[in-house]
Amino acid sequence: MSLHKQFAYSPHEMEAETASNSYLMSLIAIIVGLPLPIINLIATLIFFLNNRKGTYFVRWHCTQALLSQLTLVPLNSIGFWWTFSVLFTDRVATNEYFAYLLTVFVFNLLELIATIYTAIQTRKGLHVEWWFHGPLTHKLCKEAV
Amino acid sequence: MKKILGQGLVVVGLFLGTWWLLSKIEWVSIFRIEKISREAKKKLGALMLEVFQQDSKEIKDSFATRTLDSVVNRICMANGIDRTTINVHLLASKDINAFALPDGHLVVYGGLIADAKNPVELAGVIAHELAHIQLNHVTQKLVKEIGISALLTLTTGSGNGTAIRELARTLSATAFDRALETEADKVGVEYLQKAKIDPVPLADFLLRMSERQNDILEYFTWVSTHPDAEERAKEIKAYCKSNPAKYDPVLSDTAWLMLQDLTSLIPE
Repeated sequence: MSLHKQFAYSPHEMEAETASNSYLMSLIAIIVGLPLPIINLIATLIFFLNNRKGTYFVRWHCTQALLSQLTLVPLNSIGFWWTFSVLFTDRVATNEYFAYLLTVFVFNLLELIATIYTAIQTRKGLHVEWWFHGPLTHKLCKEAV
Repeated sequence: MKKILGQGLVVVGLFLGTWWLLSKIEWVSIFRIEKISREAKKKLGALMLEVFQQDSKEIKDSFATRTLDSVVNRICMANGIDRTTINVHLLASKDINAFALPDGHLVVYGGLIADAKNPVELAGVIAHELAHIQLNHVTQKLVKEIGISALLTLTTGSGNGTAIRELARTLSATAFDRALETEADKVGVEYLQKAKIDPVPLADFLLRMSERQNDILEYFTWVSTHPDAEERAKEIKAYCKSNPAKYDPVLSDTAWLMLQDLTSLIPE
């Protein structure tokens, strides 16, 4: 899911810390225990906006962290509202519903593992590009501000 | 850009593939339904049946029960339903109603037989209720109504009379949700066709009931518990039109008239 790649330059200690923090933002939202799926996105979005004028390494990782959350938000939101309708309306919990929740859980778990791993690696100044999100980040985040 | 699209498609494919594969597992049975053991269902079914038997006398006339059994037997045999798991009860009530209870109890009110225009309509309602039983809709509805833990408490404890009575009323007087009704319609129609019974009279019965819904509602329980009757009747007719089959009579005219007489004569 994630690959070590050579970045355009070797990031400074401070850059590595800020880049690593962009991943930690989504984790903090989970630790805080907020169940709404939008919270993680808001946390990374705020961090992204705060660092949009940062160095290339910081911006790049803030963008990748934001994109990873953007991918999960629709999946989690569907799961959230599906559960809501099962609990509070006439909708019945089906095999498809349980399968969806489990699939979303697996994808969230994979994302969580990748986030922790990437946070540790970027803290060391190492560049990690995710499958799909990495190339997409390269498209969106250019070196010159 | 091609690389991003390709990888994006792989991610979407992985998600949908995992979802599809996992949906093949019977989660509903694993998480909810199987938790209510066979014994619990048996106890709950017996307790609820008692509630209705207290309100309406069970018709024990051998001709009436044998005639009704012959309709149920025919549908069960044609569809591989284990007849020993279905317990049919004919109750002396003017209510136009039939409903399924836990543990395969199928309750038919005399009012339904008296009101049906022909035995095929009765067979249609029976097939629909049998579908609810076979599809485990009864337990699903109970779990949804009060939750699995409360249901288990009711069946494993000393039995809270008031709660059981309320729950029994819920099963007989409120609707399953639309998805379950549609599923029971579809399966019920398939049962009928396999038993060489025409499903169209079931649609006619639904239509007639929906037209009369605006009249006196007092006895029209079955249709009030089966919403969107008009639309569902149309769906049944459309299905039968696209899946034509040959049908045989359900009962002889004499047997049907005798059954109607018997059920309407017996006081509540």
